[in-house]
This record gives sequence, structure tokens and C-alpha cells, in this order.
Amino acid sequence: MRQRALLLFFSFALLGVQFSCRGKAPSVQPDPMLQAYDQERDWNNADHLIPLNFEQAQGKRIFYEKCVWCHADTTPAGPSNRSNLTPTPALINDGSVLNPMTDEFLKNIITLGGSAMGKSAMMPPWGRTLSQEDIRALIAYLRVVAQPPYQPPARPASQYSVKQTSKEENPTK
Amino acid sequence: MNHEEMGRPSQSLRLTFAIASVLFLFVLAISPLKDLLQEWKRYKREYVRFAQSRPDTKRLLADYHPGIDQIWIPNLNVVDRCSTCHLGITQSSLLDPSVPEPFRAHPIVPHRAQEWGCVVCHRGQGLATEVSEAHKTTLAWEQPLLPVGYIQASCGTCHRGETPETPQLNRGRDLLVDLNCVGCHRLQGIDRPAMIGPDLTNVGTKVSREWIYKWLKEPRTMTDSNGNLVVNGYENEEEPRMPQFRLKEEELRALSAFLSSLKSPAIEPYKFDPRVVAAWEKKPDLVQQGEVRFRQMFCVTCHSLAVTRAGETKLIGGDIGPELSKIGSKVNADWLIAWLRNPKSYLPHALMPRYQWTDEDLFKVSRYIQSNLTDPDLLSNIPALGSPRPDEIQLGQRVFLEKGCAGCHVIKGTKSPTDFGPDLSQLGSKTVSQLLFGEAKIPHTLVAYIRTKITDPLSVNPAARMPQYHLKPGDLEALTTALLSMTGPPATSGLAHLIVPAPQAAFRPAGRFGELYERYKCYVCHRFNGFGGTLAPDLSFEGSRAQRPWLIAFLKNPQTLRPALTSRMPQFGMTEEEAASLTDYLEMVTQSPSVNPESANPKNFTPEKASLGKQLYEVKYQCQSCHTIGSGGGYVGPNLNNVGNWMNAAWISAWLKNPQALVPDTIEPRRDFTDEEISALTAYLTTLKQNPRATGSSGKGGTPGGSQ
Repeated sequence: MRQRALLLFFSFALLGVQFSCRGKAPSVQPDPMLQAYDQERDWNNADHLIPLNFEQAQGKRIFYEKCVWCHADTTPAGPSNRSNLTPTPALINDGSVLNPMTDEFLKNIITLGGSAMGKSAMMPPWGRTLSQEDIRALIAYLRVVAQPPYQPPARPASQYSVKQTSKEENPTK
Repeated sequence: MNHEEMGRPSQSLRLTFAIASVLFLFVLAISPLKDLLQEWKRYKREYVRFAQSRPDTKRLLADYHPGIDQIWIPNLNVVDRCSTCHLGITQSSLLDPSVPEPFRAHPIVPHRAQEWGCVVCHRGQGLATEVSEAHKTTLAWEQPLLPVGYIQASCGTCHRGETPETPQLNRGRDLLVDLNCVGCHRLQGIDRPAMIGPDLTNVGTKVSREWIYKWLKEPRTMTDSNGNLVVNGYENEEEPRMPQFRLKEEELRALSAFLSSLKSPAIEPYKFDPRVVAAWEKKPDLVQQGEVRFRQMFCVTCHSLAVTRAGETKLIGGDIGPELSKIGSKVNADWLIAWLRNPKSYLPHALMPRYQWTDEDLFKVSRYIQSNLTDPDLLSNIPALGSPRPDEIQLGQRVFLEKGCAGCHVIKGTKSPTDFGPDLSQLGSKTVSQLLFGEAKIPHTLVAYIRTKITDPLSVNPAARMPQYHLKPGDLEALTTALLSMTGPPATSGLAHLIVPAPQAAFRPAGRFGELYERYKCYVCHRFNGFGGTLAPDLSFEGSRAQRPWLIAFLKNPQTLRPALTSRMPQFGMTEEEAASLTDYLEMVTQSPSVNPESANPKNFTPEKASLGKQLYEVKYQCQSCHTIGSGGGYVGPNLNNVGNWMNAAWISAWLKNPQALVPDTIEPRRDFTDEEISALTAYLTTLKQNPRATGSSGKGGTPGGSQ
């Protein structure tokens, strides 16, 4: 009798153990490129691939349509117009020039053009061609390809900063 | 047992009851304990702790509730419980990559998770509440998560047309067309074209048996004079459309025998004017003159040639037609001349335009091709094959059908098999249990299966007839993405209305214009109302843009002033009548509703206005950063030296007002010009005229992107 009770007890215990110990699948280190929407080759180092998220990938697309002609040394068509211009436009990945500029400044110079921001009038305004999202995407792209890498201003995320960004989303037209 | 003891439970029975009740209590406790220890509850508790560590706790916990969360979208038939653990998915303050998963917010994408759920794009099991069941394949849950690198496949399940936001998917779809996958497979959204590979009905009149043998064995390889391989079609981006099949020696011999025996109808040699032959035959620079003509006609806009620069051999030129570096050693002389005179007589669906040749040009150019575009070693490593024997021909015909050659190549009198390869139009929705992995040592996922099937078909199925493709890494991912997007009809009726069909455009004009449009194959490079190639400018509104005399002169003698361009419009040798007919039609039909011919009256363009316009051009707006006038300026936009003869004033002013209204993808930014400024700039630009006799009269094309 006792034996049977013990047997019953153990079988329940086993059942319990089985439920609680269901093995976890071994985690495989994912390929970072498989986790990215798109990628861009670092212009200074062909072996370095930079993963891009959706927004940055849209920035890349707009860059290669509209901006590459003057802000890169090689273009999809071959030669670039960059060397033709004085002052020479910054390369899009030139962090030493672009990193100190704030997002706000970049947004304004792309929207309003160089002459509105005290820079060369050769940079045309894109505010009537590109949407606000396009311009945000372009800035996201140039930030992620910047060499030396771009460090966002060290500011702890707070409710205040969240509110501020949501205000920026409604540009005054 | 005495009677007092009767009815009283014995000692052992008590013990059994005691153990049983303890066990019963224990069993009762299992269920609540299990419930308490569930994975998703752990994540919920973690999220609360995480939110408390953030400055905006209140906001992060505003929608929090301790149960299972789900996004339910009845009209899509979507029930997603992903947000049970992915609690911060809609919190804009959690976008930063330093936020630990699963609490990070979703990056900004066009479809918000609240409206679309997660599985519509990411696949996986929306109903599952365990990490492994939601993300991976288990026995009961078959749909694993799609790796983010292939996520554009999900865009393609609904967006059947081209979306600019998905470069990888677009590239993959282009590759499916370029690699002629529809030759053997049925694919979703890609129709069988009129011609896939060349029609081989009388290929024996074009090439020799040895050449066919070589081509079947190793399509497109090039060796230098020392026998070193310099261009390998498989290792660079110039992969030939013809894939490499695994053919045995006897199959190679049989196929080459069969194909070289196809010689009807025979080609009648063209009789050159004897005076032309007599005049040119003896000239020492005949071949050089032929080369000059070949270059002037801009054959390289569509065909590439191997060029060796600084010790590196590269193919330079377009990829619409085949590469021609060794064409002189490939084709038979009579065939070449017949082809150049009228490509349609050999291939009814040829893309090559029918040029107007003079006997002199035809003689020079064909001589140049036969003597310079050759490779004496092309067939040096081919065994002597002799003339085809009847048994070889018979075997060859069988091999032709068995290997699926007829999927792409037509031979009159031979029946083409339909659906030679498996139907791939629903490949993207196949579950792992539907796939056969064979001996392949690859992860058992659909993505790995598709990749392996393309790069190494034999490892998955030793009996596969599929040829092997050697794709660059990016292209392999793109092709896989395009195949994953083919999920067949939508899973639910709720999803059916989301399908955005690909636009079906065709422009097949009739009449004299239609005849010339077919003869010169305008649509291979130019686009008309969304139909045609993208190599050259869109001509949908050409009639509003160009002035009649300029257009006629351009068609007769196309010019460009952009030294950067390797491709430009070929010289077709059009007659005056042909150029005038084409121009008449374009001026009449291809008019833009945004351009009002009355809007710009040349009488208003006074010299004062023009000089104001010049000032605006040079100082205020600095247009010279992109456009060239005279000898200075940039070369992003077209050269404006002759714009006064080239464009209509109404077009210029409409363009300045809103370029995207006329050419949607032009790179010229839309500016904030006042009407006054537009009128002044138009006045200035219409004064820019060049003597038509001057060399390089005008640039052509709206954008560099559109004219390359």
C-alpha cells in the first residue's frame, strides 16, 4: 500500500518536474545584417557595412537621388559635381564638419537652402521638393554614416525632451 | 477483526488518505504556480521595474495592465499578442538602441503597429504567448519570424507594383525578370514575355557547332593572349542570362550537333554595291573607319565591349544587348550583315532597332566587327567535333527537351513544355514541413532553403535540373526577398483589399508613328506614359518641351554635350521624312496639361527682363552650380547653351514653377520663385541660342538619373 502511494507521489512529482523544466531553445547569435532593413558601405572602409533601419534607408535612397551629385566624390553616373563648386560641399559622411551641426540646423539648411543660413547659395532649398519626413530621414542617414561617428548630445531622456520633439513634428509653414 | 474496529479506518488507509490529500493539494497548486511563472508575466513585471527606472514612468505605464495585451484588427483578421511582452512598442521615448529588448519602441515605419499589428510584416504567430512559439517554428506553430534583412518581402505581399521604399525587393524582382526565371517557373506578378532566350529555329545559320559547344560548356568567359581568364561571366556583375547547366560531354556533343543542324531558312548573302566594295576594299584604314562609324553610331549604349585599362579588363557599355567583344569569332559573316540590315527577319521579337544603313557604312562596320571584335583563341580548347551525325542530332533533340531548354528557347516545330520547373507563385507562404531539405546541412528554415536552392541546388535535391547561379551576396538576398514576397492570394478576405496591384501600362501607337516607333524601338530606352525603358529621358511630355526644328535635327543627328555620359542616343540614319513624322506625332500627342503654350508670350521678354534673369541665374540662385552655360558651370543638370532653340518658353516657365509636375522624379528642386522671377529667368534662358552648325548643339535629358 505504502509502495503504491509512493509510486503515485513520484509520478506526480515527475509530471511536475517535466512541466517546469521545458528546455529553452539554444539562442544563436544573429547576423547583424539580418537584423537591418538595409545597409550602406562605409566610404572610408569597404569592409565595414553600416546597418540601416527603415528611416535611415529612406534617407539613403533620397541621398542617392538628390544629394549625391554634389555631396560625394563618385556618383551613380560616374563623375561628381563636387570638385566643380567653390566652396566645396561637405561629403555626406564627413563627421568632422557635420557632427557639430545640430539636427535643427541641418533641417533648416536642407529646407531653406544655403543662402538662408548664411552659407553658399549653391545649396538649393529642398523644402518644396522633399517632405518633412524625407528631410528627417536624410538627417538620420547622415548621422549613421558619419565618420568619425556621431554622438548625439548627452541629454538624459526626460518627459521634457519628449514633449519638445513632438512639438518639432508640427513645422510652421 | 473485532466489531468495534469495524467501520474505523485502518492505520494504512489513514496514511493513504493523508498522502493523497497532500498530493491533491500539491496538484491543485501546480496550475496557479505555472500561471505565475509564465514567461510573459515575467516580462510584464520586468517592464514595470524598467518603467520605474525611467524619468517618464507615468507615461510608460499609462496603458499598462497586468493581463495579456492584444492588438485586434477585425477587418484584417489580425490578432496579435506581441505587445504583451513588447510593451514599449509604441512609446516614442523608448526608440533608443540602449533600451533593452523586448521593451524597445518600433523604429519609424509607414505602417504603425496599432493599425497593422506585427505579424502582417514580421510573420510569426500572433496568438502565441510563449517566446519560442511566437518567434520560431515548433510542432504546432509553423510560421517562424521573418529575419529583418528580408522584411521587404512582406511589403511585396501587398504592394505588387514597385515601391521606392523597398530597394532590395525591387532589385530582387528585377533579377527574377533578368535571369528569366519565368522560363521554367510560374511566378506571382511576372508574366511570360514574348521572347525569353533567342529563337533557335535557324541558329545553325548564325554560329558554328564548336561555338555552341563552347557556349553550353562555359558561357561568357574571356581569356587574354596568354590564356589567362580575364573576364569570367560568373564572377562579376556581367553574369550572362544563359545559366550554366551541368551537361555531360556526350550531351554537349549531342546538343551542339542538333542545334547546328537547324539551318532553315538559309540566309541569302547580301550583295553589296560593287562600286562601294571596289572603293573600300583596298583602303588601308577600312577597319579604322569602321571603328569610327561603330563609335559614332553609339552601339555601346546597348552593347558592351571588353576594355583593358591599366592592366584590368572590364566590360564597358550598356547591357540591353549582348556583349560584343568576340562577336566576330562567333557569328557567320552573311548572318551578321543580314542581322544588321533587319534584325526582325531573324528574331521577330528582337530589341535591336532597324538602322538605315548606307552600303558604305554597312561594309565598313561589318568589316570592323569581323576583324577587330574577335578572339582567335575562342575555340582553341574545343575538340574537333566534325559534322553532326544523325544519332547525335536525335539525342540532342531529346536532351533539348529533357533539360528544359525549350522553356526559354523556341524552335519552330518543337513543343515547349509548360511549367517545366515547380510553381513558385506561393513559395513565400510554404511552411517548413512542406520543404525537402535532403542531405543539405543548413538550418531548416524557408530562407535558408531558398538561398541554398539558388546557389547549390544539388545539395537540396541531387536530381535537380535547375542550373546553378553565382550571385553576388546582395543580389542573393534580394532574389530571396522577392521569392519570399510571393505568398499567393491573401490568406483572408480582410487582406484582399490591401493588395496594391502593379500598374499595367502599354503604349503601342498605330499609324506611321507606330511603325517607326517599332522600327527604331524607341520604347527600349525611352518611357511613354509609364511604359518603356528608363535609360533615356521620359518622353511623355516631349511635345510640350521641345521645339519642332530642334527635335527634327536631334532625331537626325543626336548630340550630347555631357562628356560624362557613356550612353547616348544612337545614330539611326533617319530620313528627313521619318524624323518629321516622329516629331509631328510627338508635338501633337505628347503634351502636358501643366504647360499652357499661351502662358509665355515671347513679346514680353524684353532685354531688360533678360538681363534681370541673368542676374538672378548667376547671383541670387547660382544656377551655375548645376547647369553649364558657355564653358563654366556644373554638370548635374542639362547644358543650357542652346536652350533657346531647344525648349519652348511655356515649358521653361512651367518647369521653373514646379519641375516635379512635369517630370515627377527629376532632381531639380522646386524653388520659391515669384512670377516676376520666373518670367525674367524664362526671358533670359530663351535668349541662349547656338548656331546649329556649331559642334555639340545641345544637351539632352532632364536629369542625370534619367539619362544614364
